[in-house]
Amino acid sequence: MSDAIVDGWCARIRDCAAREAPVAIVGGGSKAFYGHRVDGETLDTREHAGIVDYEPTELVVTARAGTPLADLETALAAERQMLAFEPPHFAEGATLGGTVAAGLSGPRRPYSGAVRDLVLGIRVIDGHGRHLAFGGRVMKNVAGFDVSRLMTGAQGTLGVITEVSLKCLPRPAAETTRVFECPADDAIRRVNEWSGHPLPLSATCYVDGRLAVRLSGAAPAVEAAARKLGGDAMPDADTFWRSVRDHAHRFFERGSGEVLWRLSVKSTAPFTDFDGVQLVEWGGALRWVRGASPALDAARLRAFAASHGGHATLFRGGNGRDGIFHPLAPAVMTLHRSLKEAFDPVRVLNRGRMYAGF
Amino acid sequence: MTTATANPASGRRDVSGVVDALLTRYGARAVTTRAIREQHSHGEGLADPALPDVVVYPRDNDEVAAIVRLCHAARVPVIAFGVGTSLEAHVAALEGGVTIDFAEMNRVLEVNVEDLDCRVQAGVTREQLNAELKGTGLFFPIDPGANATIGGMAATRASGTNAVRYGTMRENVMGLTVVTADGTPIHTGGRARKSSAGYDLTRLIVGSEGTLGIITEIQLRLYGLPESITAAVCQFPDLGSAVRTVIAAMQMSIPVARIELLDDVQMDACIRYSKLEGYEAKPTLFFEFHGTTAGTAEQAELMQQIASEHGGSAFAWTSAQEERNKLWKARHQAYYAALALKPGHQAFATDACVPISKLADCVLETRADVEREGMTAPIVGHVGDGNFHLVLLFDPKDPADRERAEGIARRCSARAIAMGGTCTGEHGIGVHKLDALVEEHGDAVKVMRAIKHALDPTNILNPGKTVPMHD
Ligand SMILES: Cc1cc2nc3c(=O)[nH]c(=O)nc-3n(C[C@H](O)[C@H](O)[C@H](O)COP(=O)(O)OP(=O)(O)OC[C@H]3O[C@@H](n4cnc5c(N)ncnc54)[C@H](O)[C@@H]3O)c2cc1C
Repeated sequence: MSDAIVDGWCARIRDCAAREAPVAIVGGGSKAFYGHRVDGETLDTREHAGIVDYEPTELVVTARAGTPLADLETALAAERQMLAFEPPHFAEGATLGGTVAAGLSGPRRPYSGAVRDLVLGIRVIDGHGRHLAFGGRVMKNVAGFDVSRLMTGAQGTLGVITEVSLKCLPRPAAETTRVFECPADDAIRRVNEWSGHPLPLSATCYVDGRLAVRLSGAAPAVEAAARKLGGDAMPDADTFWRSVRDHAHRFFERGSGEVLWRLSVKSTAPFTDFDGVQLVEWGGALRWVRGASPALDAARLRAFAASHGGHATLFRGGNGRDGIFHPLAPAVMTLHRSLKEAFDPVRVLNRGRMYAGF
Repeated sequence: MTTATANPASGRRDVSGVVDALLTRYGARAVTTRAIREQHSHGEGLADPALPDVVVYPRDNDEVAAIVRLCHAARVPVIAFGVGTSLEAHVAALEGGVTIDFAEMNRVLEVNVEDLDCRVQAGVTREQLNAELKGTGLFFPIDPGANATIGGMAATRASGTNAVRYGTMRENVMGLTVVTADGTPIHTGGRARKSSAGYDLTRLIVGSEGTLGIITEIQLRLYGLPESITAAVCQFPDLGSAVRTVIAAMQMSIPVARIELLDDVQMDACIRYSKLEGYEAKPTLFFEFHGTTAGTAEQAELMQQIASEHGGSAFAWTSAQEERNKLWKARHQAYYAALALKPGHQAFATDACVPISKLADCVLETRADVEREGMTAPIVGHVGDGNFHLVLLFDPKDPADRERAEGIARRCSARAIAMGGTCTGEHGIGVHKLDALVEEHGDAVKVMRAIKHALDPTNILNPGKTVPMHD
């Protein structure tokens, strides 16, 4: 049945390519806000759902793109396993395909890997309407170019993801969260220092003058680390981390006219006040900045991120006039256009989602 | 779809003009002697030489860019060369041209202890990097067995024994400086952990075997040296028990840094070569645990328990460095022990990767094939990942023997693919596995070809490798 759905999509994309009619790929719509708006005929991936193969002993799961993330996580939890990149849902109905296409990872990312690190293989329909498989279901594959990773985070501009194989991990036996009151620069200094030690860190978050540090692993290791770090225990930590992951935390409530920027920087970048409030994750490497739109100057944020080895994205709000994603160097932009051309020469797939024209 | 033609010789322009220009510009750093060209005509493994016209030794990014621009203008092939330890004829200059040897680009440019990262030139070797990191408390864990360059390791997406714990080059390269096919230097990725803006060019270039761009600098992730390392060894009555032990350990999330499997043929070779005592010629697992002193001791004990539940015997473990080296000696000398099995023979290695539950079957069927052909081929596996290597020993003077070996390697690829795995988990495609790539990826190879065409429209970057340009 599902093969018929994919065959149908292939035919549709061929037809759209012939008519030069753009296609907007949608899943649960939970990340629709991310990136530029896409116009075109809707291709809803949710009809193609379900787990294709899950072998807990292999630590690998393969599922169709339209599978709700929540269903997938429930199936893994029944085997005491998890998606180690702790994917953000942002809203109910988030799908696996959308999660991989967006390339976003949650609080556990610096310690257990990003979504692209855990994608083992992928199936996609390219702009010619061909259904293709890259990578596979094994831990290591160096056969040919790493197209699975290229697809991860390409936001559907290079292909419609139809199926993904992911590495999963056993859930930690024990988990605890410690909290410390401290100023922001102190928090960044501390988490960086701890990162260099053999501590079972699994998430950090600084918000509202408090640093929360999650420890995960075997019970004795977690207990020993908690004693070493000190601080206070956080009650109901699971709810807290879920709220950070899904932007349900108070910090992410935007007032009218406010925007949210996402700064990806090296973890030791100094804390800088941008006339906004900040939430710092990933041991200092991820900084969310919320504030009024004219005060949060795109050029200033981008210059800061670039000077600290990273980039800045206008994550929510604003008009995107200065671009949503970090501008690319001209030679890099040329390569992007060539790649888009290789996968989708008529530019039918999610045209304009990332950068003008693709 | 558009397909690039494989550089018909007529499309090539004046190689001699390029050679002259390089000799004039680089003097003693451009070499055309037969000995040097021969040395760059093949890697390890099957030595079918294909000589470049000239070997040039640039010192910085600008020189690399200038060389590539020159070649681009003249449509002359450019082959990047690290130290030539690759195993699938990756560096052979199939159509002649210019080989860029990175020997003089061997500086560690930056070590950022606080950020746990560093930036190196492509010609820095793995051992050199770790020597230069001494005293910082950091190390670079990826160990493909040979003292390869970081550029070559990135280009082949190398991994090795430590991958279970620390990942492969894919996870540990944060960013690259790359000279594109037309000689333009670009930066991909950055210092931030999260991938860069736009498409993940870093991971596209990593593993592209010099066919999509020339890597000149690499930003690498580093790790704190573990407080304690313990090593352990255990023998098993059969392969299945050894593999089941590994599966049980992975399920329990025991943070093993390395798990290596040697089959009985390889153990027999090791016992004789390394004069080991107290071992039998049986499938053997080698473990290493990294962590706190208490943690690693606990892990070794837990491992012993799991192993004994699966029929393991002669379990030994230690955290003292000297004892550790002794325990792992057999593994470290495995390649030479294999060669010593058949003096006068040559070895060529092939690798495959399968779902771990299929590993024992795949290895056993491959063994049966080897025996049917009357060959000798010890097997070593990075079992935590379902990856194994077969060292095929053949008589270089007997073409039929070589053919038998190649047949076994081909069937090993096909078997791994049929079991839901891949024809290569580590060594790559190079020249030898182009057919297997097509078998494994089908139509997807057309897209890989389109990518090659997009990034290297005139097919000058290491032509004839990684992706077949014709059906
Ligand atoms: C005994 C032995 C055991 C091995 N075990 C393993 C193992 O366990 N795991 C594993 O992964 N590998 C293993 N290998 C393979 C080998 O070590 C790797 O392929 C290595 O990464 C290649 O590095 P190199 O510097 O020798 O590169 P080379 O062999 O010189 O080049 C390899 C490829 O990379 C390209 N290249 C080199 N430098 C650059 C550059 N700067 N920019 C762009 N392209 C470049 C070349 O064109 C070529 O295609 C083993 C090899 C040997 C001999």
